[in-house]
Amino acid sequence: MDDIERFRQELLSRRQEYKARVLICLTGCRALGAQGVAAKFRERLKSLSLEKQVPVVETGCIGICARAPVMLIEPYEYLYGGVSTEDIDEIISTTIQKGQTVERLAVIQDGKPAPRIKDINFYKKQTRLVLENCGRIDPRRIEDAIERGGYIAAVQAITQKKPQQIIEEVTESGLRGRGGAGFPTGLKWNFCRKSEGEQKYLICNADEGDPGAFMDRALLEGDPHRVIEGMIVAAFSIGAGQGFIYVRAEYPIAVEHINIALEQARSLGLLGDDIAGSGFGFDIQVRMGAGAFVCGEETALIVSLEGKRGMPNARPPFPAQKGYMGRPTNINNVETFANVPLVMKNGVDWYRARGTEKSKGTKIFALAGRVNNTGLVEVPMGTTLREIIYDIGGGIPKGRKFKAAQMGGPSGGCIPAKYLDTEIDYDSVQQMGAIMGSGGLIVMDENTCMVDIARYFLEFVQAESCGKCTPCRVGTKKMLQMLEAISRGEAKIEDLDYLQYLAEHIKKASLCGLGQTAPNPVLSTLRHFRDEYEEHIVLKTCRAAVCEALVRASCQHACPAGVNVPEYLALAAEGRLGEAANIIRRRNPFISVCGRVCDHPCEQRCRRSEIDHPLAIRALKRYIADNMDDYANLMARRVDKPAEVAIIGSGPAGLSCGYFLALMQRSSVIFEAQPIPGGMLALGIPEFRLPKETLQKEIDFILSHGIELRTNSRIEDAKELIDKGFKAVFVATGAQLGKAINIEGIELKGVLDALEFLRDRALGKGQDCDGKAVVVLGGGNVAVDAARSAVRLGAAKVTVLYRRTREEMPAYEEEIEEAIQEGIEIITLGIPKRILSRNSTVSGIEFIRAELGKAEADGRRRPVPVEGSESVIECDMVIPAIGQVASTEVVTFSGGPELTDWGTIKVDPVSRNTTISEIFSGGDCVSGPSSVIAAIASGQQAAVHIDRLLGGSGELPGDTGFSFVKPDEETLAKSPPRVEEKIIPLDKRKRGFAEVVLGLDREQAVCEAQRCLRCDLEES
Amino acid sequence: MDEPAVRINGKALIGQTGQSILELALANGIEIPNLCHDARLSPSGSCRLCLVEVEGQKGPVCACTLQIQPGMVVRAETEEIRAIRKTVLELLFYEHRGACTTCDENGNCKLQRYAYEYQLSDDVFEPPAGEERRENYTTGNEALEYEPGKCIRCGRCIRICEEVQADSALTFKARAASVEVTTAFDIPLNDSTCELCGQCISSCPTGALYERAAKGRGQCKDLLRTRTTCPYCGVGCQIDLNVNPKTDEIVRVTSEVGCIPNDGNLCVKGRFGMDFVTSGKRLAEPLIKRNGRFEKATWEEAIKFVAESLKRIRSGFGADSIAGLSSAKCTNEDNYVFQKFIRACIGTNNVDHCARLCHASTVAGLARAFGSGAMTNSIDELKNAGCIFVIGSNTTEAHPVIGLYIKEAVMKNGAELIVADPRKIDLVRFARLHIAQKPGTDVALINAMMNVIINEELHDKAFINERTEDFEKLKPVLKDFTPEKAEAITTIPAEKIHTAARLYAKAETASIIYSMGITQHTTGTDNVLSLANLAMLTGNVGAESTGVNPLRGQNNVQGACDLGALPNVYPGYQSVEDSQIQAKFESAWGQKLSGQKGLTVVEMMHAIEEDKIKALYIMGENPALSDPNLNRTRKALEKVDFLVSQDIFLSETAEYADVILPAVCFAEKDGTFTNTERRVQRVRKAVAPPGKARIDWEIICDVATQMGYPMSYEGADKIMDEIATVTPIYGGMSFERIDSVGLQWPCLDKEHPGTRFLHEGTFKRGKGKFHPVEFTAADELPNEDYPFVLSTGRQLYQFHTGTMTRKSAVINQVSPTGYVEIHPDDAAGLGISSGENVEVITRRGKVTTLARVTGNIEKGWLFMPFHFREGPANMLTNDALDPTAKIPEYKVCAAAVNKTKQPD
Repeated sequence: MDDIERFRQELLSRRQEYKARVLICLTGCRALGAQGVAAKFRERLKSLSLEKQVPVVETGCIGICARAPVMLIEPYEYLYGGVSTEDIDEIISTTIQKGQTVERLAVIQDGKPAPRIKDINFYKKQTRLVLENCGRIDPRRIEDAIERGGYIAAVQAITQKKPQQIIEEVTESGLRGRGGAGFPTGLKWNFCRKSEGEQKYLICNADEGDPGAFMDRALLEGDPHRVIEGMIVAAFSIGAGQGFIYVRAEYPIAVEHINIALEQARSLGLLGDDIAGSGFGFDIQVRMGAGAFVCGEETALIVSLEGKRGMPNARPPFPAQKGYMGRPTNINNVETFANVPLVMKNGVDWYRARGTEKSKGTKIFALAGRVNNTGLVEVPMGTTLREIIYDIGGGIPKGRKFKAAQMGGPSGGCIPAKYLDTEIDYDSVQQMGAIMGSGGLIVMDENTCMVDIARYFLEFVQAESCGKCTPCRVGTKKMLQMLEAISRGEAKIEDLDYLQYLAEHIKKASLCGLGQTAPNPVLSTLRHFRDEYEEHIVLKTCRAAVCEALVRASCQHACPAGVNVPEYLALAAEGRLGEAANIIRRRNPFISVCGRVCDHPCEQRCRRSEIDHPLAIRALKRYIADNMDDYANLMARRVDKPAEVAIIGSGPAGLSCGYFLALMQRSSVIFEAQPIPGGMLALGIPEFRLPKETLQKEIDFILSHGIELRTNSRIEDAKELIDKGFKAVFVATGAQLGKAINIEGIELKGVLDALEFLRDRALGKGQDCDGKAVVVLGGGNVAVDAARSAVRLGAAKVTVLYRRTREEMPAYEEEIEEAIQEGIEIITLGIPKRILSRNSTVSGIEFIRAELGKAEADGRRRPVPVEGSESVIECDMVIPAIGQVASTEVVTFSGGPELTDWGTIKVDPVSRNTTISEIFSGGDCVSGPSSVIAAIASGQQAAVHIDRLLGGSGELPGDTGFSFVKPDEETLAKSPPRVEEKIIPLDKRKRGFAEVVLGLDREQAVCEAQRCLRCDLEES
Repeated sequence: MDEPAVRINGKALIGQTGQSILELALANGIEIPNLCHDARLSPSGSCRLCLVEVEGQKGPVCACTLQIQPGMVVRAETEEIRAIRKTVLELLFYEHRGACTTCDENGNCKLQRYAYEYQLSDDVFEPPAGEERRENYTTGNEALEYEPGKCIRCGRCIRICEEVQADSALTFKARAASVEVTTAFDIPLNDSTCELCGQCISSCPTGALYERAAKGRGQCKDLLRTRTTCPYCGVGCQIDLNVNPKTDEIVRVTSEVGCIPNDGNLCVKGRFGMDFVTSGKRLAEPLIKRNGRFEKATWEEAIKFVAESLKRIRSGFGADSIAGLSSAKCTNEDNYVFQKFIRACIGTNNVDHCARLCHASTVAGLARAFGSGAMTNSIDELKNAGCIFVIGSNTTEAHPVIGLYIKEAVMKNGAELIVADPRKIDLVRFARLHIAQKPGTDVALINAMMNVIINEELHDKAFINERTEDFEKLKPVLKDFTPEKAEAITTIPAEKIHTAARLYAKAETASIIYSMGITQHTTGTDNVLSLANLAMLTGNVGAESTGVNPLRGQNNVQGACDLGALPNVYPGYQSVEDSQIQAKFESAWGQKLSGQKGLTVVEMMHAIEEDKIKALYIMGENPALSDPNLNRTRKALEKVDFLVSQDIFLSETAEYADVILPAVCFAEKDGTFTNTERRVQRVRKAVAPPGKARIDWEIICDVATQMGYPMSYEGADKIMDEIATVTPIYGGMSFERIDSVGLQWPCLDKEHPGTRFLHEGTFKRGKGKFHPVEFTAADELPNEDYPFVLSTGRQLYQFHTGTMTRKSAVINQVSPTGYVEIHPDDAAGLGISSGENVEVITRRGKVTTLARVTGNIEKGWLFMPFHFREGPANMLTNDALDPTAKIPEYKVCAAAVNKTKQPD
C-alpha cells in the first residue's frame, strides 16, 4: 500500500512545472485529423524550442465530440474545437505565449464565445466522476493515472479489507450494473463469491454493440486503468484468479490501450501473482470479439470466449454458478468496473449521495442524433432528459421540435416529449417503456419517422439475432416484414394489434436478453406514437417524409395537397412559369394565396435543410403566381351541367372541392352565408398579408370552371339540400367563432373577439383604434394578425399577451418578427386573470406571470402561475384570440352526421365522408382551426370521393410528365444561400394595409429554385 | 432432496435431482410440446415450445432447461402458455416451406403434429413465394439430403454430431433468419469430419434431414416399422426397418431413443448399409455346378444332391472327413441347428466358424483365467467407468456405437481414457494418453504396467487375496519387466507406461476394452491372459464399470459360440470330451455323438491339403476372402471334393462350391442374435425373401432329414425352446421373455433376470487365476527384404468381406476401394504419394492397392483394411496359429511396399 502512495508522491514531486499543457483527444477525434494536429503542434513547438515547457499530451475523449478535433489547454482550461493544422501558429502565439483565447475556435454559446471549459454549458451541467481522467491523462502512461490517484483505492482495498467487506460496501453503495439491466453489483459479486469452486473467473464485458453507443469504448481508450482497477477489486472480492476483457475487434485503439495498460500494471506488480504484496494473485487477458451483437449477452459472451460460436444459453445456471469453462464467473460491464474505484476511494456514503433513491452514482450517456452537442456526457442519476438534451446537448439543431429520445439501443425504446422532465434512473426509464441500457441516447426531432425508427432497430436486431431460438430468429423477421409493409403503406390497421401481440409473445418466449428486448423499440413507439403508424396505414403518409415507398420527394409528401414541388420549382428555374403554375394547379388552385400565407410544411421537410437551409418554396410559388399571366386558361373544360353537388361555405376547402369536382367534370353550387366568398382567406387574413384583389383573382379563376356561387345564402340544414336533389353535399363551414375566454370582465365594452375584429375590418365596417392601447390575448396567427391590424388602425400601443414562451407561439415566426418590428410588444409567460374596467369600459388587464412546469403530452411545458406575480397592463381594448370553434350548425339536424368529442365533424380521414354517406366535410369545421393548405387538401380529397360516390373514377389529372436530369453534386455545392423576400419599409407598413412582403425578383427566383436537390429523381 | 416432489398440471410427481421439468413430465406421460429436445442431448432451450408457467417465476420458463426444485408448481397448459406456443408454431411455419402432403416425414413429423394440435390456420402451410433451391453441404451426397426450407433450426443435428458423435461436422452459419445448418466453410459433407452415421437424421424433428435414397419411396405415415437387430457388428443395435408395404422394400432404418443397447444411436452401416437386402445380386434359386458352370436347380434336386454327396463321402471316408463352417452372421437358431446337424446327423465335431479368426484366443484365455470367455460387463457400464483402457480396439470404427459410450464417459463424465494402439485411431482425440505399441508387443506393455503397479503398491491386495490364486507365480515374470525393458520391445517411452499404469490402477473403476488387436496374434491367448492378470491385479473385475471386455466383431459371433458352433464344445460351452455331457446331448438329440474334438477353421483348410477333409459345408461364411494366406485357403477350397455354400450372395467362397443354396438374410427371418454383452435379442422378419431363398435352419433340417436324421421345427421360437433345455446359460431364454428387451446370459431359468456383469462375488471358475506370461515375439518379423510390419483390420464404412456393405451406394461413395496406410517418411523414402498405386508384398503374396499417406501410423508400420476383394489383404497375412486358440496372426507380418507403374 505504502509503495504505491510513495510512487505517486514521487511522480508528483518529479512533475515539472509546465508553461502549459496541450491535451488533444487522439481517440474519437482521430477520425477528424487529430493526429495531424498533434504532430504539427509538436513540430511547431519544437521549432520554437518550447517542446519541454509545453508538452502535447495525447488523451482519450474530452467529451464534446460535435466539435472534434478537440483540444484542451492547461492551465488556462481553454477548450478549442474544430482545430486544424492552420490554427496552430495562432494558438501558440495567442494562448501558449500570451494566455489569451483564440475566440474563433471557442465554443459559441448564446452568440458569444465561451473559451473556458467551466463556462461551457456542455460541461457545466455534467458531473464527471467516472470520466474524471478521461481527456486529462495519456492513457498509455500508467504514471499519469497513478498521479491522479489511480490504483490507490484498489491496493488499499485488497491489502486492508476483507473480500466480504468490499462486497458489503459495494452492495451498500447502491452501485448497479451499467451494462443495462441495473442488477445490483454487490449482490452479483456475492453470488459468485458464494458459488463453490476453486477456480473462478472475472469478465469485463466490453462488447459494446448498441448503435450510437461509445461510452465503454471511450473509457477503455481514455482511462483503461480505472477499469483494470475496478477489476482488481472485483476479482479480489469474489476470489477470481483470472480475468478477461472481452472487447470487440472494431475497437483497435481500445485494445491497444488496454494491452499497454495491462503490461504496465504487470510491470508495477499491480497484476500478477502477488498484487502489491497482498498475496492475492490476479491477471487479465484481452480477448477480441468478432462484433456479434449477441456476444454482449453474458452467456453468449462466455461461449464465444470459450472459442465457440457465440450463442446464448438458458439461465439458470447463471454464470456465477457455471460460467466460463463451467466455473463460477462474474461478468460486469466496463462502466460498472470504472465506478468501483469511486466507491472504494470515497466511501459508501459519498457514493450514495449521488443519484436517485434506487439508482446511485452517475451515468455516462453517448449523446447522439438530432442534438447540437453530441458527445460523451456524464450526469448524476436523476438528471432529466431535458437537462441532458437542452442544457448539456444545446437543444435540437435548426430549431426543430423534439420528438423522442431513443434510450437503450435496440433493446430500449423511444421516450416521447411528455417525459422530458422525468428524472432518469433505471426504474423510471423502464416505466417509460425504454431501458437505461448501456447509455446510448439518440435524440430525434420531427423529421424522424417513428415507424422508420422502429424498423431500423428491428432491422438491426433481426440481423444480429444469433438464430438460436425461434421467437427471436423468426419473430423479429416477421415483425420486420410487417413494419416494412407499414412503412410502404401496405398494411391493414388490424396488423398493429397483431404486431403488438407478436411483440409481446417474442418478449416472453425468447431465450436471451436480445430476443426478450428486441421488440421494445416497436412496443414503445406503438405505445407513444401509434398515430404515426396509423397514418402510414390509413393515410399512406409519413409525416416525417422519411419512408421511401410513400415519399417521392419529401416536400411533395409533406404537402397535404400533394403538389409536385420539385417539378414546378424546376420549371420556374427555367422560366417556364405557365407550366409551373399548371403543375401546381393540378393539386392546388390557390397559387397566389398559398404563395403568401401557406404554413409551408414542404419547407420543414426539405432535405436541403440538412445541408444549409430549406428552399424558399412558398416564396417561389408566389413568384410564379405574381409573374405568370395565365388566369384565362382553364385547367379543364368548363362544366355546364346542372349542379349535382352542393357545397356549404366558400372558404379554401369549399372552393377547392368545387374546383376539383369541376376538373372531373362535375358541377356544383357553393352556398356562402357572407356577402363575399373566401371564408377565412377573405375575412380572417388581413390584406397586408393577402391583398383582396389577389384573392379575388384566384376565386374568379376557380369559379370560371363552371361553379355557381351563391353569396348571402345561409344554409340551415344540410339535409334540405339533399332533399332538394343534390346528390352530395360538402360541408365546409369553417371555424368562425372565437373561443370564449372565461375571465372576469369579458363582457365589458372594449372587449372584442379577434375573428370578429378582423371580419369587420374585411367587410369594411371596422372600428378604428385611434390612439388606443390594445391588448391581444393569444399567440397564434389570428392574434398576431389582429395585433398588426390594430397598429394599422391607429392604435397607440399594442401588446400581445401569451401564456407560454416565444418559442411556443404558433404564429409564423416571420409574422412575429414583423410584428415586433412594427412596435408590438409581446409579453410571454403571462396568464390573463381579469379585465379591469372603468365606467364599464375596459381600463386594463391583470395577468399573472408564469413559469414552466413539467412537460405535457406534446412535450411543451405547462405554464404554472407564479403566486403573487400579478401585474396590470392599462389598455382600452382587449382582443381575445385564444382559439376558434368549429361551425357545425348545418349538420346538427336529427340523424345527421356525428361529431367528435372536440365538437368538430367526424369524417373518414381518407374519403372525408361523414357518417352520412352523401355528406362530406372538410376544412376547419373538421380539423379545428388549421392551415389553408390542409383545407385545400380536404376539398381535394372530398371531391375525389364524391366523384367516386357518383360513379366516377375519382381520378385527378396526372401531375408529372416532364423529364429532368438530377443536378450534380458540384452544382449543388456551389448553390448560393437561401434567398429572402423583400418587404416594404416599416413606416409604410404602419400607415395602411398595403401588402408587406414584396416577393422575389427573377434572379433570386432562379437562384433559389436551383438549390433544389431533386430528391424526386433519386433512385431508391 | 434426491427426489423432489413437484406438481405439474395439478398432478403430484416425484422426480430426480437434476431432472428438467420436461424430462419429469415426459417420464410421467405428460406431453409438453417440444422440438429441440432429444433425450440423448443436453438441453438447448432453442425451440421455445416447451414454455410453461412456474409459480413464483415472472414470465414463462423453458421446461427443458429448468431443473426441478422441491415444491415446484408447474402449469403447462394455461391459456397464455398455449397462446405463446401457438405463436411460436406459427413463426416456425413462417420459415418452414414445403407441404406435408409431399414430405417424406409426413406422419412422423412433430411440427406437423403440433400444427394440428394447436389448430394452426391453413394459410401457414402456404409456401411463401419461391426461394430458389440452392446447393448446400449435402448436394450430391448419397447418404442424406438437407432441405433448409424444412429446417426449424433446432440445432439437434449439430448438437448430436458434437455431443454424442463428437464429430462436430455440422454447425450453424450466418445469423438471424438466414441461419442454416452446414459444415464448416460449407465444404461437401463427405469432405468434412462427418462419418455418415446419420445421427443428425435421427434427431431431426422434421423432414429437413432425410436419407436421400428414402425420399419418395414412402411417407412415414405409411411405413411399417419392424424392430430387429442390426446385422453388422457385435454391438447389437436395435433397429427399426421401415418397410413400404406396397413395395415390400426397406425404405429407411431408424432406431428408437431409449432402446437398449444403442439408445437410438446407429452408425453408418446400420443406417445406410441395408441395400444388400434388396440387391439384385441376391441368390434366389439353388444352383448346382455342372461342367464347371452353375445351373439352376429345384430345391428338391439340390437337397438330394447335397444329402447324397455327404452320405457318399461319409460312408467312404468316415464322418470326420466332413466339416462344417457355421456362421456368426446367422441366428442362434441357425447355428444351433447347424452344429446339431454336423454333430448328430453327420457325426463329427468338425464344426467351427469365424469366431476362430477373431476371438478364439479370448475364449481360450478368459476361460482359463475367469472361467468364461465372454465380455464381463455391459456396454452401458462403460460410461461410468473412471478409467477406460482401450487396447487393440479401433472402437469408433469397428464398434461405433460402443465408441459413443467411451466418448460419453470421457466428455461428460470425465473418465480417463488410455488408448494403446499402433495407430493414431480416432479415440486418441479423447484420450488422456496414447501409447503406440509396436504390433505384436502387447504382453511386454501389459507386463511392464503390472511391474509399475506392483512396485508402486497400487495393486488391490484384498481382491488378490480373497478372489484369486497363483498371484505368487505372476511376480517372478514381472519382476524384471520394467517399463524401460518394455520400451525397448514396444517402442513406447517408459514414462508413458508408468503413466498408463498409474491411471489404470488408481481409477475407482477401470474397464479394459480390447478386440482383434489383442486376439489375432500367435500370442493371442497370452495377450488375453495378460489383460486378465492386469484386471485381477487391480481388482477391476466382478464389479460394475470394470472388467475385461472383448468386443465381438460380428453380429452373432457370441451366439454362434454360445450355441456350440465350435469343435470342442456343445451349446453353452459344454465340453464334447466330457462323457456326461455327451450323454446328455445324445439323449436329447437321439443319436450317438463323437467324443473327439473337431477341427478349427484354419485346421480344416490344412486338413483338406492333407486329404483328411473331403467335404465342406459352409453356411454364410466367406473364407476365400477372410482367411489368412488366401492363396493357401483358395487352393484348399479348390481341392476339396465336395463344397456346399449356403449363402445370400455368390461370395468368393461360393464360386468354389459344388452346390449353392440360397438363404434368407436377417431381414427376412425370425430368430435371435446374441450381442457382445451377452444380450440375446430378437431378429424379426420384415420383408419377404427373394425368389426361392429359404431360412438357413430349414435348409439344414431338410438336408438332415434327407440324410436320414429327421429334423424339423415349427418355428425359430421352438428351436430356442430346445436350446433352453440343453444350454444352461440360456436356460431361461424364450422369445416371449426377450420380446421387448433382450436378456443377458447367464440366464439360468425362467425367473432369472439375466446377468449385467460376470464374476460378481465369485468367478465362474471359482477363483480368478493368474497366469504368468512371458513375452514372445510375433511369428514373422521384418527383415531387409520385408522391412515393414503389416497389420490388418477394419474400417468404419465396411464390414468384413464387404458382401453386404459394398452393396450400399452411400458406403461406396465414401469408401470405394482398399488402401494401405503408410507413414509420410516411409512414403517419401519410397517416392510414394497418397492415392498412388502400390504393391504390398509378403512371403505369401502380392497385392496392388492405393497408398494412403498418413501420420496416424508410425514409421515402419503398415495397415490395410481387409474388406476389399480387389486388393485382398489376406493374400498377405500370415496363417501362423496361436498354439492354444488356433487363431491366425492377422495383425503382424513382415511386408515390403513398392511403387507400381502408375496407369496413364
